[in-house]
Amino acid sequence: MDFQAIHDRLRAIQAPGLLGADEPRAPDPEDKKDKGRSGDPFVLVDPQRLGPFLEAARSDERLKLDLLADLTATDPAKDDENLWINVQLLSMELKHRLAIKCVLPKADPVMPSTVPVHRASQWAEREAAEMYGITFSGHPDPRNILLPDDWVGHPLRKDYVFPDEYHGISCK
Amino acid sequence: MGLLEKQFDENVLTTKVDWLINWCRLSSIWPMTFGLACCAIEMMAVGCAHHDIDRFGAGAFRASPRQADLMIVAGTVNFKMAERIKRLYDQMPAPKYVIAMGACATGGGPYYKFGYTVVKGVDRVIPVDVYIAGCPPRPEALLEGLMKLQEKIQNSSVIRKPARLA
Amino acid sequence: MAIQNQPDRHEPSYTEGEARSLDTGEREYMLDVRTQDMELNMGPQHPATHGVMRILIRADGELCTGAQPHLGYLHRCAEKIGESVEWLQYLPYTDRYDYLAAMNNNLGYSMAVEKVMGLEIPRRALMLRTICAELNRIGSHLIAYGTYGLDLGAFTPFLYAFREREWMMALFEKICGARLTYSYIRIGGVFNDAPPGWLEEVMRFCDVFDVKWQEYVDLLMNNHLFVGRTADVGVIPKEMAIDFGLSGPMVRGSGIDWDIRRDMPYELYGEICADGAFEVPLGTGAKGTLGDCWDRFYVRVMEMRESIKIVRWCLANIEPGPVLADIPKTLRVPPGEAYVAIENPRGELGHYVVSDGSKVAVRCRVRGPSFSNISVTEALLPGTLVADAVAIIGSTDIVVGETDR
Repeated sequence: MDFQAIHDRLRAIQAPGLLGADEPRAPDPEDKKDKGRSGDPFVLVDPQRLGPFLEAARSDERLKLDLLADLTATDPAKDDENLWINVQLLSMELKHRLAIKCVLPKADPVMPSTVPVHRASQWAEREAAEMYGITFSGHPDPRNILLPDDWVGHPLRKDYVFPDEYHGISCK
Repeated sequence: MGLLEKQFDENVLTTKVDWLINWCRLSSIWPMTFGLACCAIEMMAVGCAHHDIDRFGAGAFRASPRQADLMIVAGTVNFKMAERIKRLYDQMPAPKYVIAMGACATGGGPYYKFGYTVVKGVDRVIPVDVYIAGCPPRPEALLEGLMKLQEKIQNSSVIRKPARLA
Repeated sequence: MAIQNQPDRHEPSYTEGEARSLDTGEREYMLDVRTQDMELNMGPQHPATHGVMRILIRADGELCTGAQPHLGYLHRCAEKIGESVEWLQYLPYTDRYDYLAAMNNNLGYSMAVEKVMGLEIPRRALMLRTICAELNRIGSHLIAYGTYGLDLGAFTPFLYAFREREWMMALFEKICGARLTYSYIRIGGVFNDAPPGWLEEVMRFCDVFDVKWQEYVDLLMNNHLFVGRTADVGVIPKEMAIDFGLSGPMVRGSGIDWDIRRDMPYELYGEICADGAFEVPLGTGAKGTLGDCWDRFYVRVMEMRESIKIVRWCLANIEPGPVLADIPKTLRVPPGEAYVAIENPRGELGHYVVSDGSKVAVRCRVRGPSFSNISVTEALLPGTLVADAVAIIGSTDIVVGETDR
């Protein structure tokens, strides 16, 4: 199935939390500042209902998006007020993919964990949590995964300040 | 060898204690199996038939630091690993030597500027005897580093001068 | 550091009355032996963890009752670097996260950027890319083959594997000047054409490798001792493989017929598949249960021969032409985002890149297959013997540079 068909199907089954879709478009010839957007299309989903959305995408027999390939976050810009949550779903049986984006405010980056739906998101959420300071409520094992336990700051935030020293070892 | 020369039968060699002990040490350097990152693959290549580190007596890779003389730090060291490296180094029996293999172990390498968790050189944690450049170094470079270490051992002395009386 | 809230002392699984009815010697043994749970720290410096990974194993005697992998001993901030340096400058860093398959990483990153840019790649460049990626796959599987034998106590296969790998590395050195970190596949193509005589030497390599491949099969894959250590060990059922997001030989070993090269073809693989030049080997449970360690190992060994077939197809069809699209030195990528997944030797290598139209990426996410593949050990190890833990971890064929990035 191509993206349009998947999106139509998601709307037909009224997938919970589905907000819309974003597809690449050519630049507007009238507006010189508009550069358009290239790349992949994706669907926009409410982060607070991501778990039920994934469950719906998995259980529908025409979508069968049962493998969570990736879950990560993005900090689009220093002065942006939001973080993105990016999820890549895959159906090995029907051979199609779906990209999902959720917009989460930086002021209150809390969303429910999706581990009850996909076991694969357990480690991915741990990584997103330590790198961006997102809290996945209800996560069974919310420790740091790549960074040391006592690390200060969230390195992949655009406003991250590099440390001067760690445990007596200089970083300069 | 001065006075002792030609005093014995033909099959007797005379030499200095220093030379003999150093020769023993440098001819059987046992490295520790300690691969960290990309350089470890080149270290494995050195251990295999084509480059054959056994020619230099350094082919007996030991899994335990307690049996090893040489730690080849082959790869990037980060803060989480640095404490472990210090501990492993402390567990090695003296005399012990360290080779910093590759740019990362020498000085942070390509991760120097933006690598927030990378230790900018393993010499900030443990003393290093030989640095090898390259990212990763070729197997020949590691062999050259090993020969440099052997030179260093050859020039050391086991005899300690007595402490000067106060 | 405790793994689970379990009491230190286990109640024995038999009643005292049952034990008393046994023979004398056995009875004393059963009544006396009480094992205490022990936490066994495997790594970070351990020869069988393939790098610096640490697994905390809770052992009840020889039985493993819990396992907790700890990562991050090789975290090198690749994603932060990706959004700090220019698009082309990031390419050498892609070599270094999965250092056994650097060509495939270059390919994945280049394809993601090219997708956002909408670049057209010359056909000869696609051919050279495919040849290099497949040769690198062989090299990576050779290491997997050799080190897996090493983990289980067989040293000789390791030496055999490095013999062919040295030749392969010499081939790469001729085409790009590096043995391990190539940066050969660039955004827009490859960085130079193959030197004279290189393609002929690749053909010679293929001819020799076909013969040597049989040696590998005889030496280790069908070796009785090896089969004994790996068959029926670490079985991953299909549902578990999907739930954990596994990919590559890990799912094919469990019998899931999935290969991105064939099912979602990129670059030339669609044409190669249409020609029927390669097939996807699957685990069959021939020596034990479907999805055990032996099946995963079998898939890797068989894939080496399939890669040779793909290289032969490319050598037969390659034609002269340009190898690099016309791109400026300072690359400006139009605004947009893309997720591109390719089949790496270890599974699905995904690159998610976001651009806002400037010289530097906004996001450069790497979805490493090893990261997902090793997460399964958490569920797989409990209930196995401690000696089998090494066999299971080895069969996941991880590269720590990629789990930690």
